[in-house]
Amino acid sequence: MAAIMILNGSPRAPRSNSKQYAELFSKSCRSETEYFPITRTNHLELCRAVERFSDLLFVFPLYADGIPVTLLNFLKVLEAHPPQKKPVISVLINCGFLEPHQNDTAVQMLRLYCKQNGYPFGSVLKVGSGEAILTTPFRFLAAWKIKRLASSICSAQYRTLEVTMPIPKRWFLKASSAYWLRYGRRNGVTKEEMETMQIEGNPI
Amino acid sequence: MKLILSDRHLELPEADHPSIKFIDLSKLKIANCIGCFGCWTKTPGRCVIRDDAVNVYPYIAKSDSVLYISRVKYGGYDTTMKTMLERAIPVQQAFIRLVHGETHHVQRNVAPKRAVVIGYGALSKEERNLFCKLVARNANNMNFESFRVVFASEQELEATVRKEVSAWRPL
Repeated sequence: MAAIMILNGSPRAPRSNSKQYAELFSKSCRSETEYFPITRTNHLELCRAVERFSDLLFVFPLYADGIPVTLLNFLKVLEAHPPQKKPVISVLINCGFLEPHQNDTAVQMLRLYCKQNGYPFGSVLKVGSGEAILTTPFRFLAAWKIKRLASSICSAQYRTLEVTMPIPKRWFLKASSAYWLRYGRRNGVTKEEMETMQIEGNPI
Repeated sequence: MKLILSDRHLELPEADHPSIKFIDLSKLKIANCIGCFGCWTKTPGRCVIRDDAVNVYPYIAKSDSVLYISRVKYGGYDTTMKTMLERAIPVQQAFIRLVHGETHHVQRNVAPKRAVVIGYGALSKEERNLFCKLVARNANNMNFESFRVVFASEQELEATVRKEVSAWRPL
């Protein structure tokens, strides 16, 4: 039976969507899992822990079309301190955009990392609308795909999966606006303020 | 305005011109984005982390020509450039629009750009191809109206940058 290390590469790991995706993964996985957030100070500790696992699942958000710096920095340390027995690396990535394929470049970066460093590459789940899907009636779709991801890793039948909210793009624009307006309202910020075109008060 | 954003020190007398801003990121103190969404939902257009990044992204927004110089790592930008690009999201709004049929964030006052991205240190053709794909993705999210990717070795980097900057003249 596989033992799966889950590494959260989100910069806001303790209160991230990635943490929720990781929890869903653990709940639906029949193998033993252990969860770790990547912090600024635990890279070497994590590198040592990798030895104990047959599989490693990176869970992280898309940042500026690629891997977030939080994860990038850890990958560089892992490259310098590789485990003797290399686990199979899988990816659970989410982006706030509707299209799961916007995650492709970041996934390819992880594939390249594996190739450059001799890790077998496993499964992928690309989540679109990942900022909001867990708070919508479509949560079950994400949970279902995460279960399939877990099953593929446990059985070593690695595959690439994707999920998003099955709604037209125009609906998504309205739904995401409503989501962000609620977010702003909680901070006492109006729609007009959120729509400001000024950047740092346009000092240049 | 034209912006040169580099992840390392470069000797560039060609950049000594009032319409060119040269920023050496390696000399700045820029923390990681913490994903708090403050720049969208608390202090729109302003990052809540008040370090050197807040002096850089207004130039990114304002410039109609940009020249980015970065080491390539795993097919993407290495840490120094990537950290800055992640911290530049105050130039966007939280709200989503369609760009070429894909969902992307609405830009604030961001000039459309002609972008040249110089990558150095790429280890293979596969890594260079992936970096090109990344810049093509950036084009949609960073308001590039056109872009070009150039690769250079570390030894030829400065000459490559100088050549690109010289091509901006007459300014």
